[in-house]
Amino acid sequence: MFRSRSWFGGGLWRNKNPHSLEHLKYLHNVLSKNQIVSENNRGLLVETLRSIAEILIWGDQNDSSVFDFFLEKNMLSFFLNILKQKCGSYVCVQLLQTLNILFENIRSETSLYYLLSNNHVNLIIVHKFDFSDEEVMAYYISFLKTLSLKLNGHTIHFFYNDNTNDFPLYTEAIKFFKHPESMVRIAVRTLTLNVYRVQDASMLRFIRNKTAVPYFSNLVWFIGNHVLELDTCVRNDADHQSQTRLSDLVAEHLDHLHYLTDILNLNIEALNDVLIDHLLNKLFVPLYIFSLLPPHSNAIKEGNTRVSSVVSLFLLSQVFLISRQQPLVQDLAHIILRGTSVNGENSSVLAQAAPVFVAPTKTLEESLDCDHVLTSGAGNLGFYYNNLNITDEEKEQMLAQEAPKIFLDVIVNSLDCTENDYSALFALCLLYAISHNAGISPDLLDGLLIPSSNPEQKPRYTSWLVQKLINIITLSCQLGCKVRLVTLELTISLLLRLTLKDRVSLLTDAHLAAVLAAREESTSLLRNYYKREDIFGDMFESEDEELRKKPLNVEWLMMDSNILLPPTGTPLTGIEFNKRLPCGEVERARRAIRVFLLVRDLCLKLSGEKETQLPLTNRNDCVQSNAVLDLTNSDLLSCNVIGPDGVRNHRFLVVESNQIMLVVPVPGQLGFGQPTLSALLHDLDVTADKQDVKSLYISAKYTTAGPMVNTRFIFDDSIRCMAAQQR
Amino acid sequence: MSYAYLFKYIIIGDTGVGKSCLLLQFTDKRFQPVHDLTIGVEFGARMITIDNKLIKLQIWDTAGQEAFRSITRSYYRGAAGALLVYDITRRETFNHLTTWLEDARQHSNSNMVIMLIGNKSDLESRREVKKEEGDAFAREHGLIFMETSARTAANVEEAFINTAKEIYEKIQEGVFDINNEANGIKIGPQHSPSNASLPPGSQSSSPSSGCC
Repeated sequence: MFRSRSWFGGGLWRNKNPHSLEHLKYLHNVLSKNQIVSENNRGLLVETLRSIAEILIWGDQNDSSVFDFFLEKNMLSFFLNILKQKCGSYVCVQLLQTLNILFENIRSETSLYYLLSNNHVNLIIVHKFDFSDEEVMAYYISFLKTLSLKLNGHTIHFFYNDNTNDFPLYTEAIKFFKHPESMVRIAVRTLTLNVYRVQDASMLRFIRNKTAVPYFSNLVWFIGNHVLELDTCVRNDADHQSQTRLSDLVAEHLDHLHYLTDILNLNIEALNDVLIDHLLNKLFVPLYIFSLLPPHSNAIKEGNTRVSSVVSLFLLSQVFLISRQQPLVQDLAHIILRGTSVNGENSSVLAQAAPVFVAPTKTLEESLDCDHVLTSGAGNLGFYYNNLNITDEEKEQMLAQEAPKIFLDVIVNSLDCTENDYSALFALCLLYAISHNAGISPDLLDGLLIPSSNPEQKPRYTSWLVQKLINIITLSCQLGCKVRLVTLELTISLLLRLTLKDRVSLLTDAHLAAVLAAREESTSLLRNYYKREDIFGDMFESEDEELRKKPLNVEWLMMDSNILLPPTGTPLTGIEFNKRLPCGEVERARRAIRVFLLVRDLCLKLSGEKETQLPLTNRNDCVQSNAVLDLTNSDLLSCNVIGPDGVRNHRFLVVESNQIMLVVPVPGQLGFGQPTLSALLHDLDVTADKQDVKSLYISAKYTTAGPMVNTRFIFDDSIRCMAAQQR
Repeated sequence: MSYAYLFKYIIIGDTGVGKSCLLLQFTDKRFQPVHDLTIGVEFGARMITIDNKLIKLQIWDTAGQEAFRSITRSYYRGAAGALLVYDITRRETFNHLTTWLEDARQHSNSNMVIMLIGNKSDLESRREVKKEEGDAFAREHGLIFMETSARTAANVEEAFINTAKEIYEKIQEGVFDINNEANGIKIGPQHSPSNASLPPGSQSSSPSSGCC
């Protein structure tokens, strides 16, 4: 590596030790002699820049004089000088890399302050690199990100300038917020979060006044356009052709929501106000909530951008599952649950007030370059929302009587599953997510999505909503119905949420009777298969186990883009069994079993009874390995056990009632044995070895020592082998 | 320089296991730390050759961003390969692998190639995690495994390049949707997907990728 340097006539300055002040002096000399970048010295410059990074880090850790020299000679200015010459990506990249190494590895705070103390770093940040070069872009944004990780209450002032009111590190970075390269976007997001969390009052004031509106309005517009793309993808994909594309878009939307939540969770009030204002008024209300209304509804102006109601229900569910920021979800839930067309017949008022999803007036760059201070300007929801926000009980009641709740009505109407359960599933998710969101005040949900808690009244629940849910359950128990298992499971979960108070069911007799009738229905449906399927018992057990193993997780359900496509029956799509309709007789039997189990479980929970019959077999009954058993009266068969790994053990085989055990004698206790493994007999799969009459092959899914695969048992003779097999 | 493919990697693992040093060691061999110097970096890119094709590796270190859920999530999703690193001289970094892996599996696309790396293999005397244990963990979870030393550069090349080979093979098998950049794979500027994905002649590692 040093050879490359020898063609440059600097032999005099060369130093054997690359980690020394002398060597830095030599490098300084190289830089001063090569201030003009040319074809000829590019290689040399790059090598020099590399060496400088290395020696500075060494100096930082070992010899402070190295750093002193670097600062004294103002060597960062050489860097700037080189940059200004449009030297091409080769040198640029190395320069950025050197800076990265410098800032990443410097440990001493003094060194760091020195490096930042003149304005060189900021000048490098604002330098117009050739960002069309993907490598330059990547190194540049990594450099900014590395710097952002160094931010704290002290260092922030090197980057944010109170007097000139500028903050290039932040403003330059956010210009790339919608860069086509995902890693660049992530780096920008990391940087913004690192900046916000410094919590420096004057810096945050700058962010709030100068950048918040431009950044957030453009960010919200960017997210909205992703949503439109997602919607197009769903519309055009009736055949499940672009599942990967769709799943990317869904994941992308989740990323956006998580990012927004990460910002909101920093609890910077001034910033959150602006962000929430934009989210509500520019995205969630106009694009998500207003898309719930039918396309030709009075409340919607001609030509408004919208997404299908299925997509909108799905997106809103995600919002409520992820964000728990009170000001955001409370307002959003209020509009969804209480939003009315303001004045009954005169819904044109709503149309006037309805916010619209439109592009920000200026691009981010334009508005950042603008000198005047921008204040918040998103809230055109004022009239519409204030009208709803009356806490005065009287007016509330008046409002409730007068006007139908337009959004809630649509959601509840989507619960109808007679055709299919496509939108019902999302409506359920949304109601479920709202009812479980900790950021929403219980007052809003009380008596609607959770049982009312007014101590003066008898506890009650939302009867008309519960009726809708019971309809779904009843429908699920019919032959050939179009309700997917996941929909049923979610319905049940929501029903319990609505009607259980302190684990006691509030269900009226009529409703309870309807649920019990549904259970009867599901039982009789199950009877068909009980006779028809030979392996019914095994199927029943495995379905029961499956349900137990994978209880419904709504958050995960809402990450699955597959459910956005119209429900289908074929397993060829790769969609999980409970998220599609059954295909073929066996799957219909499995479905009937699960419906029965789910409804049965619901009945148990409503009546407050304990489960006593399931699971059919309790594998915990197996004798555990640490037990010592008196085997003086048992039939013991001596055998050698050879596992698939070839290890051979001598054991005694015992069969007790419904179990098989392998035991070893307990030293010092004649006639006693300790089991090394036990399993239930009906879990065993035994095959004889055709070539060896003394051997059996045994497999078992469950044993106390984990699954047993094709393990060979060799007995003393063929008679004992037969005896073992028969048992 | 133009390349056939660009693969994006991330490096994950506890702090202090040497992630950024591995990265720098691979992308910038200039920093073979003859002296007692630990230098790392958070980003690096390097060109390698597989199957006579130029492949660019872009490696993004995710260190320092654990506080934000949105960031880790998106990092995982944008990568085609991940190096999961632990320190053989610190048992707890090995014990945390399961959590890292769960995270990776939950957020990444299912095809992401994960390479398990036991770093600091030069510090044999202070070893707390046996090589066999790393091996067993990798086998159990279907990962490739290697012990490396960012200090002596042992196996560092191999770790990055073997991961790339695995990704390359998956492309040849048609497992990766290369037209979808969200997978962490990009086709080079001058390579249209039709001729880039099918190597001429018998090089292809999967003779029957289009069956059933």
